[in-house]
Amino acid sequence: MQPFPPLYRSINRAAIGLAGMTLALTAQPAFADQNAETFVQTILDEAEPALSVSDRDQMFDAIEDIVDKHVDMRRIGRFVLGQYARQMTDTQADVYYPLFKRYATQIYQNTLSDYAGQTLKVTGSVDRSERDIIVNSKLENPEPGDPFANAVIHWRVYRARDSKEMTVVDAGADNVWLAIEQRSQFTSIIANNGGREKGIDALIVELKKRVGG
Amino acid sequence: MKTAALTKAILPIAMCVPLLVPAHAQITGNPDPDSLAAELESAPISTNAVADPWEGFNRKMFAINNGLDGALFVPAAKAYRAVTHKKQRKGIRNFLANLGTPITLANDILQGEFGRAGKTASRFVVNSTIGFGGMGDPAERMGIDQHSEDFGQTLAVWGVSSGPYLVLPFFGPSTLRDGFGRAVDMGTDPAIWIRTDAAAYFRYSTTGMTLLSAREPLIESLADIEADSLDYYASIRSFYLQSRQREITNGRTSFDDLPDIGDFEEFDDLE
Repeated sequence: MQPFPPLYRSINRAAIGLAGMTLALTAQPAFADQNAETFVQTILDEAEPALSVSDRDQMFDAIEDIVDKHVDMRRIGRFVLGQYARQMTDTQADVYYPLFKRYATQIYQNTLSDYAGQTLKVTGSVDRSERDIIVNSKLENPEPGDPFANAVIHWRVYRARDSKEMTVVDAGADNVWLAIEQRSQFTSIIANNGGREKGIDALIVELKKRVGG
Repeated sequence: MKTAALTKAILPIAMCVPLLVPAHAQITGNPDPDSLAAELESAPISTNAVADPWEGFNRKMFAINNGLDGALFVPAAKAYRAVTHKKQRKGIRNFLANLGTPITLANDILQGEFGRAGKTASRFVVNSTIGFGGMGDPAERMGIDQHSEDFGQTLAVWGVSSGPYLVLPFFGPSTLRDGFGRAVDMGTDPAIWIRTDAAAYFRYSTTGMTLLSAREPLIESLADIEADSLDYYASIRSFYLQSRQREITNGRTSFDDLPDIGDFEEFDDLE
C-alpha cells in the first residue's frame, strides 16, 4: 500500500504542472507589453504641451510634427484601400499617398485638439501578437461631466520585425477605430465609382477636394 | 474624441444619420476574373463585418433623415440647448433613461445577465425614489453604473446574426435584427397600448424629448464628422456598426476580431 499514495501524488503533481503550463501557454496572447506602453506614454507626454498651446494654428503644427514622427501613414494608407490596394497603379500611388497623409493628419489634428488642455495617461495594454499591440489610455483628472471622462482611448502599435521600431497604426475610442472607419469610406467611394483604377481615380479626386490639393 | 461621444450617444439617437460595409458586396457586379480573385482573397474583412446589400435604399433614407436633421432636429436641439441649463439637461437625460429601465431590465434577464439585472433594478428603485422620480442619479454615486440593453442586443446574444445594414426612417442606422428588436421594445412600452389622449400625449412627448435629448450633445460631434468625411454615409455606417458591436458584448470586446492593418510580410517589402 506504500507505493500507491506516492504514485498518486506524483501523478497529481504532474497534472498540476501540466495545467499550469497550459494556462501559461493560453494566457500568452493577452499579455501586456511594457515597451509599447512606454512608447505611447512618451508620445502622450510629448503631446501634452502641444495640446496646451492656445493658438490653434500652432497647436495643429505641433500635432502634425508628432503625427509625422510616430504614425505610419504608408501602412494605414494602404490598409484603408482594402482589396483595391493591389489594383492601384504606381502613378496613382504617387499621387494618393501624399494626399492620404494630409487627409489623415487633418483628422488626427481635429480629433486630438478635442483634448486641448487635458492630459492622457496610459492605463494598460493588450497584445494581439508580439508585433501588434493595443495600448489603452484615459483622461487624467477629467472635469466632472466631461463627455470623455470615462472613454478609453486606444492606440494601436506595430513593431517592425527586424528593427523592433514601434509606430502607431490606428487610434480609437471605446472600440471605435479611425482607420477602420476610413476604410469603410474609401472602399465605398471606389466601389461606387466603378471600382479598380477608375474608382481609385474618383477617390483621389475626392481627397484632393478635401485637402485642397 | 468625437468617436467617444458618438459611441455613447449615437445608438439611441440615431435618427440623424447613417454606416460600414465591406465593399465586396458592391463589386460583385464586376465579373472580371482578376477582381474576383482579389475579392475572394480579401473579402472577409472581419468576422463581424455586416453587409450592406440595400445600400441604394439606405443611402436614400439616410439623405431624407439627414435633411430632416438639418431642417428640424438640429435647430430644435440648438433651441433646447439655449433654453435649458446643462444641469437641467442632465436631469432630463436621467429621467428619460430611468423611464427606459424596465426594457433594459427585461433584456438583462433575457440575456442571462443576472448581475446586471440586479444593478438595473437597484438603479430604478434608488433613482425613482431618492432620485426625485429619476431626475437625479444617486445610484451612480453609489457605484451602480448605468447601462442600457435592448431586444436587438438580446437577439445578438442568442446568436441571431445582424442581417444587412438598414437605415430606418427617423431612427437612422440599424440592422435588420436591431430594427426588429426596436419594434419589439416599442411594443413592450405600456403607453403604446393605452388608447387615451393622455397616454398618446405622454408617448409623443417622451419620444420627442428622447430624440432631442440624445441629439443635443452630438451637435458638434456629428457636424465635425460630416465635415471630415469624404463619404458621410459610409463614415456613419462604420461608426454605428463598430459601437454597436461594443454594446452587444457589454464592453467586453475582444481585440482579436480587429483586422490586421496590412499584411506583415507584404508591408515589410515596402519599408
